[in-house]
Amino acid sequence: MQQLAERIKVAAVFAPGSQVKPVWFEWRSRKHAVTRMSYFWKDHHGGAARLHFAVSDGDNLFELMFDTSDQNWTLVGIEPQ
Amino acid sequence: MESQRIILHIDMNAFFASVEQQSNPALRGKPIAVIGAAKRTIITTCSYEARAFGVKTGMNSWEARQKCPQLIFVVGNNRKYTYTSKQIIAIMREYTPMVEVFSIDEAFLDVTGCLSLFGSAERIAQLIKERIGKELGLTCSVGIAPNKLLAKLASDMKKPDGLTVIAPERVAQVMERVPIQDLCGIGAKMHQHLAKFGIRTCGELGRFPVEILKRHFGVTGEKLHYMGLGFDESPVIPEEEAEEVKSVGHSTTLDNDITERPEILIYLLQLSEMVGRRARKYQVAGRTVTLTVRYADFTTFSRQQSRASHTNNSEEIYQAAVKILQGVELTQPVRLLGVKISSLRQHTEQLPLFAADRKKALVANAMDSVNNRFGDFAVTFGSLVGKEGGSKVISPAWKPEGVRNVDAD
Repeated sequence: MQQLAERIKVAAVFAPGSQVKPVWFEWRSRKHAVTRMSYFWKDHHGGAARLHFAVSDGDNLFELMFDTSDQNWTLVGIEPQ
Repeated sequence: MESQRIILHIDMNAFFASVEQQSNPALRGKPIAVIGAAKRTIITTCSYEARAFGVKTGMNSWEARQKCPQLIFVVGNNRKYTYTSKQIIAIMREYTPMVEVFSIDEAFLDVTGCLSLFGSAERIAQLIKERIGKELGLTCSVGIAPNKLLAKLASDMKKPDGLTVIAPERVAQVMERVPIQDLCGIGAKMHQHLAKFGIRTCGELGRFPVEILKRHFGVTGEKLHYMGLGFDESPVIPEEEAEEVKSVGHSTTLDNDITERPEILIYLLQLSEMVGRRARKYQVAGRTVTLTVRYADFTTFSRQQSRASHTNNSEEIYQAAVKILQGVELTQPVRLLGVKISSLRQHTEQLPLFAADRKKALVANAMDSVNNRFGDFAVTFGSLVGKEGGSKVISPAWKPEGVRNVDAD
C-alpha cells in the first residue's frame, strides 16, 4: 500500500448502536463513493483513539483513519485493485 | 487419574495473512506473505495458498520468491492484528470466563462448567467459529479434548477451518501413532534425544520405562512419560489468575548488523526507555538488569547485573546495561539487542529523598505525561530524536491486558 497521510474531507454516518460508516470522501478534488468496507480496526496514539477503515471505491483500496481526539480524517494509504 | 475436563484449543488459521486478505479483498485466494516493516524481510506468516508452494514462516523473501514466483509480499500491520486478536478473545469470553491466551492467535478455553448453557463442547466450538467467521471473516481450527496437551494436538490435526475431537476413551488409540514432535513442548532437540532411545511415537514414549527417562532428563522425564500417555493436568489459567509478571523487557532486531559501540548505545537507550516506561506504567521496578546480544550468526547470550536498589528509571536501566556491555568483548557484528529488568517488586509513586534523584523522577514523570497524551517517544532523550522507537514485533508473550500488552507498530 502506498503511504499518504493526507488530511481529507469525509462524510460518515454515526448511527446509534453501530460502527461509524464512511460514505464518501474527497481526495485531490475528486469525490469517491465508498462501495465497500472490508476491514475495521482501532488503535491508540498516546491518549487518542484512532479508528481505521479499509474501504474501496470500486477501483482502489483506501485506508481512512478517524482521530477521535481532534475529529479529523486522514487518508493513510492507497492500493490499486 | 485426572478429573474429567473439557478443553478447547482455538488456533487462528494463518492469522496475519488471513487478516490482510480480509482487509484487502484483492488478496483473497492468492499466495501472500506477511513481512515485517524493517529492512530485514523474513516471512512472519503466509497464506495457505503460499504454503501450497512450500513457502514457510521464517523464510527470507528471496527464498520464498524462489518457491513461489507470484508470491505477493504485504508489510504487516501489528496494530491491526492486536486489535483483531482482542476482538476474538472477547468473543471467546462470551462462552466461558476460563480463557487462557496462549499467543496472539491461540487460546485455551475450559468449557467444563458451561456445557449446561450451550449443550456441548462441539456446539460451543461451532458457535465461536461462526461468530469469528461472520464478524471478522476469519477461520480457525478447534481441538476438543480432556486436557490442554491433547486439545492443542487436536487443533493441529485439521487445518484450515477444522474441528477435531479427541474423546477420553479414544486417547490411547490416537496417541499410539502420533509422532512425538507433534506434541507441544517437544522441540527439535528433545526429538533427537528421544530418537536415540528409539522413541518416535507417543505410544512408544508412554510405554518407555519412566525410570530411564527420569535418569536421563530429570524431572522432565516423568513429564515426558505422561505426555506420551496423553495426560496433562495443567489448568487453563485466565489472565486475572495468572502469576505476576517476573520481568519487563524489550528486544529489537536491528535493521542492519552493527559493530560500532556508539550505535549500539543508542539502541540500548531506546530499549531502556521502552522498558522503563512500561515498568512505570504498571508500577513495577526491577533490581536486576539483563542485556541480551545476538550476533549475525544467531549466537545469542545474556549477561545480567544486580543493582543495589530497585529501579524503573530509564536512565538508570540504561547505565546498568552500558556497564554490562563494557564487560563484553563483541566478537561479531550485532543483529539483535535486548534489555530486561527482573527481580521485580511493586513500586508505588514516592518521591526520592535526595534532590538529584527527585529531579530524575520528576523528569521521568513529566516525560511520561507528555508521551501518554501524544504517543511514545513524543518527548525523549536528545540522542534518540529522529530515531524510530517502539516495538516492531509482537512478542510471543503478548497478552490482551496488563504489563504484557505491548503495542507493536
